[in-house]
Amino acid sequence: MGTAQALRATSTRFSHAVLLGAFAAIVFYVTRLVPETHGESWTIAAIGFLLLAGTLTSELMSPIGLPHLTGYLIAGIASGPHVLRFLDESTLKSLSPVNTLALSLIALAGGAELDLGALRKGAKGLFWALLVQTCAALVVMTAVFYIARPMIPFARSLTPSAALGVALCWAAISVTRSPSATLGILAQTRASGALATFTLAFVMVSDVVVVILVATVIGVARPLIDPGATFSAGAFVRLGHDLFGSVAIGTALGLVIAAYLRLVNRQMLVVLLLLGFGVTSVLDYLQFDSLLTFMVAGLIVRNMSEQGHKFIGYIEQTATVVYVVFFATAGADLDVPLLRALWPVALLFFASRALTTWAAARTASHLASDPPLLRRWAASGLVSQAGLTLGLTVVVAREFPSIGTPFRALAIATVALNEIFGPVLFKIALDRSRETSREPVASFASMRPPPP
Amino acid sequence: MNAVLLLIGLLVLSSLGSLLMTRRSGGGAGLTSGVEYAALGFVLGPQALGLVGAKDLTAFEPVVQVAIGWLAFAVGLDFGFSDDRRVRGGSFALGSMSAGVTGGGVAVATWFATRWLKAGLTGTERVLLSGALGAACSETSRRAARWVADRYRVRAGPLTRSLDELAHVDSLLPLVAVAVLFALDPSRDVVCPMPLWQWPAVTVGSAILLGAGAALLLRSEIATEDAWGVLFGVSLLAIGVAARLALATLTTTFFMGIAVAALSSHRRELRAMVGPTERPVLLPALLLAGARLDFRATPALPWLAAVAIGARVAAKILVGCVLCAGSRSARKAGVLVGLSLMSSGSLAICVGLAFALRFPGTVGDTVLAVAVLSAIVGELLGPARLRRSLLAAGEIEEATAHTSAPDKALV
Repeated sequence: MGTAQALRATSTRFSHAVLLGAFAAIVFYVTRLVPETHGESWTIAAIGFLLLAGTLTSELMSPIGLPHLTGYLIAGIASGPHVLRFLDESTLKSLSPVNTLALSLIALAGGAELDLGALRKGAKGLFWALLVQTCAALVVMTAVFYIARPMIPFARSLTPSAALGVALCWAAISVTRSPSATLGILAQTRASGALATFTLAFVMVSDVVVVILVATVIGVARPLIDPGATFSAGAFVRLGHDLFGSVAIGTALGLVIAAYLRLVNRQMLVVLLLLGFGVTSVLDYLQFDSLLTFMVAGLIVRNMSEQGHKFIGYIEQTATVVYVVFFATAGADLDVPLLRALWPVALLFFASRALTTWAAARTASHLASDPPLLRRWAASGLVSQAGLTLGLTVVVAREFPSIGTPFRALAIATVALNEIFGPVLFKIALDRSRETSREPVASFASMRPPPP
Repeated sequence: MNAVLLLIGLLVLSSLGSLLMTRRSGGGAGLTSGVEYAALGFVLGPQALGLVGAKDLTAFEPVVQVAIGWLAFAVGLDFGFSDDRRVRGGSFALGSMSAGVTGGGVAVATWFATRWLKAGLTGTERVLLSGALGAACSETSRRAARWVADRYRVRAGPLTRSLDELAHVDSLLPLVAVAVLFALDPSRDVVCPMPLWQWPAVTVGSAILLGAGAALLLRSEIATEDAWGVLFGVSLLAIGVAARLALATLTTTFFMGIAVAALSSHRRELRAMVGPTERPVLLPALLLAGARLDFRATPALPWLAAVAIGARVAAKILVGCVLCAGSRSARKAGVLVGLSLMSSGSLAICVGLAFALRFPGTVGDTVLAVAVLSAIVGELLGPARLRRSLLAAGEIEEATAHTSAPDKALV
């Protein structure tokens, strides 16, 4: 980069930083000028500010190689109720529809990015990776939790068998990954190659594995935590219904979307909103897994029709803005005081999980004879954890109310670390493995004006 | 029913309607005002079928604020331009005069009417009501001339251009009036009270500040997807801030649009980005406006509507006379050429909606009802008169004057 270009880039970043400060000052001043707000009008400003702050923070952080997603998270943490208090808890709660929409778009995009041909080619590596990662995380994290229980306030008083049960649940939660973080990073870097394909496929398939695993572990842990309880197969019947139903509905939905794209191909924003809100509500009502359903729908559109690329294009157009708000909200939602209180234990779990993931990835790559690139970097995209993990934590907390609240708090603190550092690791890996797209991003200023 | 689901249902319904209309008419996507969506909303609303209840309407308020704010931003971005050409000075002056005469005429007429009808309003309410009716009835739909032009294969002649330009600049005064009227009842939650005159200044000032910020951000080498983030972000921030301070959302985002267009060198690109979003945002807003309609707002409503619409007709004829005095092609069309500007539409209904949200009850409901009725009357008079005027001015050929052009897509 020439000196003039570097100077221009620096002055642009400086002006962006000043503008970010100015927007923050406006929000600060308005919240102090009118302390009380009636109705949900402030939610609108909250979305706007998160969008702006997320976009600008990510721009400001890009020179040091941090992913945009980290910028969104930092903007959210700074704006949230524990730091600058631009947004309070009730405002964050009212942003939940944005999360619903984002998760459905993430699952649809994730499914639509999965090419069955490429999956088939890497099936061996994927199989070994899933097997080794799952087993290693289960064994190691159970052991770490069990050994570290004197450091964990709520686990100190548990009987050894109950502690083992809780440790198993903790380990099952540790197996989860973050489809949203993976897709967020892939969307930003527009990466393509073995690492990007492997990570996406692993994260998406492990979503299904984890749902089964958590249900199994809860069944096994129940008699350990609650001596009066017995092992019940009822949960597996429900799980089977859930999984098969989700796949069936997802397939049908995928075919409908493909037909719509082929025959109508208009008003796609409305269609995506309908999918994100309408279909999610129906799936919740029917108690099917919406993430799996949308993932299958995306997979069908991509692999059973010729509309896949068109569909991905539409999702990307809508999702960019939604992702910023989603991750910034996740940042604002991050319980900073809780993380401050539990950081030593959370750090222990974060480090042991990251190490286990790294060792398991090396072993699996060796067993599957993966190319050197995967041997080196396969673990990097598997550290992130986010919404899916927290969702499953709620399930565990509901099943075991006696340990539910503190278990969830510890999970939130640990997920916070995985959420912050995981995307950074993945971005570094994609950059180093040269899978990050080197094509210049279409700049708004360089857009050709439309014909008069 | 879940409010979000209901909203998505309405969105799907309006999109389906739009899809069918465009398919059927080819040359014109529905009516110029979009009042048919307001009618559909009324049928679904609490006053008719009740599928959309009063509680749902309250839940939808933030969505409506965003919709009308975004629409006003798009209008601001386009303000002073017609088809990417800057509006001529004469047209600008005449358009502003047209808005002033029409709005002022309607306001004065309805102010006297409220006194005569003994509508049981306080002094402030009377000023608010008459001023709001003036603001809601002064605008001409930006799509009016284009709609007729596309439908009847109009040659781009001087009259078509003049009328199109007038319709593109007459939104300034009504939106300033909205800011001033909102200031008559400022937020009571504010920590340090301000004198009344400062509220409109704050409205315009904050809008220009935010617009300048957005323009500065858009000047740099920002990625296209980030440009959307900036546009949405600043607009939503402006709407939220305006709502919290009880300022006029419409005016705030309108001036923000003007500031962005004036300070950014990418006005055309921005317009190309924002333009296609207008209709998908507008249709649900019109549906919700229809659902909010309450023709029992005041017993005086029929009289007030008649007075307001009558004053609007008279004012438009007067504007037509001025137009005739300065334009040969307008003279060919006759003095009734002013009635070609009768089409009001989305912005007028949005003004009504803004008052209905800010001043719920007699004032807000009356303004919204009259805005919709005025749009209906405009729909009956405007396009037909415009077609006849253009025919008289020789800008539509006799052969195509009675047949629409189904192969030509609208805007």
